[in-house]
Amino acid sequence: MKSEEGRGRTLDEAVDAALIELGESRRNVDVKVLSEGPEETVVEVTVIDHAAASALAAPVDGKSEVARTLVEGLLKHMGIRAQVTTRVGTEPMTLDISGRDLGALIGWRGETLRALQSVTNVMVGRHLGEGERIIVDVERYRQRREHTVREIALRAARQVKMTGDPITLDAMQPFERRAIHLALDGDPEVTSASIGEEPERRVVVGLRKPAAE
Amino acid sequence: MPGRAAAERIRKAIALINAVADGAGDEEITPTEIAEAIRDCLELRDVDHVPNVRRYLGEALDAVSDGMPADFVAMTLYAALGALQEGGAAV
Repeated sequence: MKSEEGRGRTLDEAVDAALIELGESRRNVDVKVLSEGPEETVVEVTVIDHAAASALAAPVDGKSEVARTLVEGLLKHMGIRAQVTTRVGTEPMTLDISGRDLGALIGWRGETLRALQSVTNVMVGRHLGEGERIIVDVERYRQRREHTVREIALRAARQVKMTGDPITLDAMQPFERRAIHLALDGDPEVTSASIGEEPERRVVVGLRKPAAE
Repeated sequence: MPGRAAAERIRKAIALINAVADGAGDEEITPTEIAEAIRDCLELRDVDHVPNVRRYLGEALDAVSDGMPADFVAMTLYAALGALQEGGAAV
């Protein structure tokens, strides 16, 4: 598979740099963040071969094929023309839906996408092991959101370090909050914690207190 | 707006379930909390103005009590939300 390393001041810039080299659009690539810092972000962008991806994932245990066929059927009943592929090498198993004008399938703050994921997991449930889940993504919406919130987290961390004041971010979904916690986990100067109740739960980024001696 | 309060409470219950399923790693949500959130929905009169909403909420509550998977409970609550929308409520 074709891949390219991209560097930039922000995650978006790094991805764009690699995309220009590859001559590809965002919907056809997988992005792996190699390093993220206040000055520079380095990513590895790999072009996805949809046909090869389906062929590779299907024979593993049949689960992905069952899920893929099921989601394809659901979309057909909904009157939506889209392609469903299995993302290779991801844990948990991820189904990518791609096509044109799929905004309605994502819905308000990803609500419809989330509902589709719940239905998929219920229907495929008996083929899955204990605790095993399927992630459903439309046009890499989930992945793009994770990248966006990671950017927000790093920006907030920079500001906190400069001012010393904590910053409360907007209310976010659990997978977005997790992305923020993971993004700031390795930073020795700042810490992140969630406050409030769902669905208004927010992450607060603040200075890490020195450990008591 | 009729139905808005009910929709907000249903969304809150769904958000709690999603937090359990996605595991943001920053909260401990118990089935009791989810059941309470669903009971909060059932207390609203709005849910009686639209057919099937109370039924779906009741099924979701039963599912929590029976220890059904989070996705099953979420799916039932989405059905309640959909019923509100189909019933012309402002969601």
